[in-house]
Amino acid sequence: MPPVSSPTRAPSPPPSAPIPEGTRDVLPPEWEQREALRTRLSGLFGSWGYRGVEVPALEYADARHPQDARAFKLIDSGGQVLALRSEFTTAIGRMVRARFAGGPFPLRLHYSGRLWLRALTSELGRLREFGQTGVELIGKEGARADAELLHLAAAALMEVGVSAELEVGFPGFVDAVLEDAGLHGSAREALHGAVDRKSGADIDLLSSQHGLSGEVTRTLHALTDLYGGPEVLDAAAGLAQGGRARAAVGHLRDVAALYNHTLLYDLGASRRYDYYTGLTFRAYAAGPNQPVLGGGRYTLDGGLPGAGFAVGLERLLRAAAPQLPPQPEVVLALDAAGAGAARGAGLCAELAWTDDLAELQQYSVARGIRRWARGSDLFDAGVNP
Amino acid sequence: MTPAPIRAPDHLTLALPKGRILEEAISLLSRAGLPLTLPQKSRALRHEFPGITVLELRNQDVPVYVDLGVADAGIVGKDVLTESGREVYEPVDLRFAACRLSLIREVGAAAPLVRVGTKYPRVARAYLNARGIPAEVVKLGGNIELAALTGLAEAVIDLVQTGSTLQANNLEEVDVLFESSARLIVNRAALKLRRGRLRPLIERLRTIVGEESQTRR
Repeated sequence: MPPVSSPTRAPSPPPSAPIPEGTRDVLPPEWEQREALRTRLSGLFGSWGYRGVEVPALEYADARHPQDARAFKLIDSGGQVLALRSEFTTAIGRMVRARFAGGPFPLRLHYSGRLWLRALTSELGRLREFGQTGVELIGKEGARADAELLHLAAAALMEVGVSAELEVGFPGFVDAVLEDAGLHGSAREALHGAVDRKSGADIDLLSSQHGLSGEVTRTLHALTDLYGGPEVLDAAAGLAQGGRARAAVGHLRDVAALYNHTLLYDLGASRRYDYYTGLTFRAYAAGPNQPVLGGGRYTLDGGLPGAGFAVGLERLLRAAAPQLPPQPEVVLALDAAGAGAARGAGLCAELAWTDDLAELQQYSVARGIRRWARGSDLFDAGVNP
Repeated sequence: MTPAPIRAPDHLTLALPKGRILEEAISLLSRAGLPLTLPQKSRALRHEFPGITVLELRNQDVPVYVDLGVADAGIVGKDVLTESGREVYEPVDLRFAACRLSLIREVGAAAPLVRVGTKYPRVARAYLNARGIPAEVVKLGGNIELAALTGLAEAVIDLVQTGSTLQANNLEEVDVLFESSARLIVNRAALKLRRGRLRPLIERLRTIVGEESQTRR
């Protein structure tokens, strides 16, 4: 049906073209603030010896990729299935194998860029396109490498003025305790989920379904309470029977001694981090109930050890915005000399496009410009000295 | 969008479902030491108490508010929580509002399942998939049993409390998917950031619930 125009109604503005759900336009001043964060983080990472790299946003789809099920897929001209980059560590790992196979290790890299996921996830504030900045420390493992990343994560948050608490976990610890309790197969799988949700009710239910002893059930309940300050390590040591569990606690003690600042612990975190092979960590900023940084230790395809962390720039900006220095004032320059003088004084200067002072005045009000520049003079907008 | 208010680190925001659960929840939480009273009937959606804000929500919305961190903790039935698929901690089974989610059919019905009516489409899908039953799930809003009586569906998946509605309508429970009761749920970051308040609350609630179930036995 052709549109019918109503003569009595004022013409409505053209309909704005929609953008896909979970994407967004980034407008001023958010763009400047976000880039300021990115610059400060890159500068800090560089000063710790991490070198910047960029990897393609288009990758070959691979069923073994940890985010394969959630990645956007495209068909290449030759028929191959491509995926939009959905996660950085795997992409950096691919690049390291291709470009840095011979090291030298430790290889310290930092990156920044966009990621895409088909599924909306509340973790990321329901964005399907989002920015991440992070580091990878590849080729070495051990307490000193893990502690370096904790130090760097704390330094990165301090650099942008965000006060946060770092929490350390070790997903393999839960698995080791379940193994020591003689749990295997589907029972262990199901209990991983119940422990990770800290669900005492589900643990009781699964315990009775699988006929677990009272002692094992008590151990499982104890896992759900293994969060808090340094006392958690002592409680975990009390639960650790076998070699794997004891080694995990020992490693955490070594890292804590090297880090030598306040750490929180959650040794009941298990399920969601299949990808990580050792220590994991996240940072919680005061205020929003969401982590602002996360990372951990993994093993790359081919066996190289690595560890790293990433920050979501959108989320970090929300925590950091109140601490960011204000943007320089924008003035309207009536001539080139005025613009030069204003910029020389550290202001931003826009150039006037007309001598019609009324039009310039109207624009200044709409744009929030309070002062004009001409020659070496800087004066209130609209006043014509 | 209103920016999230900056709250003191020990301030708690609780998401509670309106209606009967609200009364039980407030009573239980105040026995656990929180300075709460049942809000007067009013149009207020948000109730302020010393150091605590209570958000009064539809029960389906409680897991959403807690998962997204707007509320630090909440109380909701396990049925609603499972259906929501939200990743929150659920440290205490509060043991009230007990019921079970069941597969229900007309007494003696034996035809293969083609359509299943339910208010719990996610749970129903998972249940049918796990059993390899290729039935269509029809999401309904209320009086679910009617779907099995009118031929809209061969079976329904719905809550059963006493079973008297089923008996009165010539329906029977064919299978129990799971038992449900009210749960304390906690946002994953809030449990750590506000542990000074939440950890003692969890411990007191466990004690109270444990003692009450002892005396009931």
